Amino acid sequence: MLSRNFRLQKVGNLEWLQTNYNFSHISYSIDELIVLDVTREQKSSDEFCSILKKLTEGCFVPIAAGGGIRSIEAARKLLRAGADKVVLNSALYERGEFVSQLASEFGRQCIVASMDFKVGPDGSYQVWSECGSNCINGEAAKWVEQVTQNDIGELYLNSMDRDGTGHGYDLRLLDLLPKNMPMPLILAGGAGNSAHLAAGLSDSRVDAVATAHLFNFVGDGLRKARSSLISGGVALPFWDIQLLDRHLRGE
Amino acid sequence: MSSPNITVIDYGMGNLWSVLSALSYLGSNPIISSDPDEIVRADALLLPGVGSFRRAMSSLKENGVDQAIVEAVKSKGIKILGICLGMQLLSEGSTEDGTTSGLGLIHTMTDKFSIEEVGANKIPHIGFDGVWSESNWPLFKGLKNISDFYFVHSYRLLPVGLNGNSATCNYGIDFLAAYEKDNIFATQFHPEKSQTNGLILLNNFLLQ
Repeated sequence: MLSRNFRLQKVGNLEWLQTNYNFSHISYSIDELIVLDVTREQKSSDEFCSILKKLTEGCFVPIAAGGGIRSIEAARKLLRAGADKVVLNSALYERGEFVSQLASEFGRQCIVASMDFKVGPDGSYQVWSECGSNCINGEAAKWVEQVTQNDIGELYLNSMDRDGTGHGYDLRLLDLLPKNMPMPLILAGGAGNSAHLAAGLSDSRVDAVATAHLFNFVGDGLRKARSSLISGGVALPFWDIQLLDRHLRGE
Repeated sequence: MSSPNITVIDYGMGNLWSVLSALSYLGSNPIISSDPDEIVRADALLLPGVGSFRRAMSSLKENGVDQAIVEAVKSKGIKILGICLGMQLLSEGSTEDGTTSGLGLIHTMTDKFSIEEVGANKIPHIGFDGVWSESNWPLFKGLKNISDFYFVHSYRLLPVGLNGNSATCNYGIDFLAAYEKDNIFATQFHPEKSQTNGLILLNNFLLQ
């Protein structure tokens, strides 16, 4: 599964986004879209929802959205604005029962647990929350284990050190996973070319790879990456854009 | 070609926008409703779904939407498409979160995948997967015998005792991926999230 992670740095730049990205076009090269509101201060959920709606119009792939979700109502709003799943991060470390409440409301398949990691001064991993502004106490592997015991549908591991570098995934992050990882895993942070995506997917612990790197967003880098993965033997789903056109013309 | 007006049933739990956006793309003019009177007068019904079975049923029951759906489909012959949880709600009931009765329009139960059944696969079943169907079945017209659709679920309808068209997918075991009989249509996958394959299927439903 080839996924894409798109981080909104700042609410209010929708026009720029629409000029530069054609989501409905790009979406034919991805299996899933992740949209995160990573505004650190004063998140406006109404504004984010309206951006999400416009952004995803004509984009017929699953959409996971998140950023600062701490209530059932906030999650419901996103689900009504185009999201199929919600992404939790900071809330994972706050109240364990909130994840269960969300799961009993929307089903656990609706919850993507996203965890951010940095390598600390002593060389071991640290868990970070609040868009990377708050370091969580405790061993990273223990946190991973605890999060996977929650009612979540998928786990998303992001290397903050690699994010945006284009130097490739930090596969060592996968060593933090418990032995019998019960849910699908998405690896994120660092992919800069299709070889990196392939390297991530070739690890048996990885179910999907995500990328926010610009190579995907300009020109047809993403389409090329997808066909290179398919010709390399990765089993990605198939759809035929012409088939729809012919169908709608009644041929 | 003109598509009929379709009423999307709003019970506070569906992924409404996604469904509406796909229907609009196909030139349909969807109406969102949780009004039993509107539901029994609809041209076509769509029951979307993200959420837990128990919550969904109790919210459908709150203002009699459950009875309106059954009346529309059974007595008036209005066609309905249930998607994901919406498909499961059409069944007799589900074992999710204790046993809960469903709308009883498809005569089988909804049950969770067992670890034994799925083998090395993980639960929930998430992602695109190939669905086998016959290309002359109404929903699958124009599609290949095996087409990729997007799934995200832990429960599915048991295939026992069904005599309609049953499309299947394999996830360790074969399971019911879609079902159609007379005016009742249901998909365990999300056609509104399945790229062009899903748009073709939704268009087929509109044209029924």
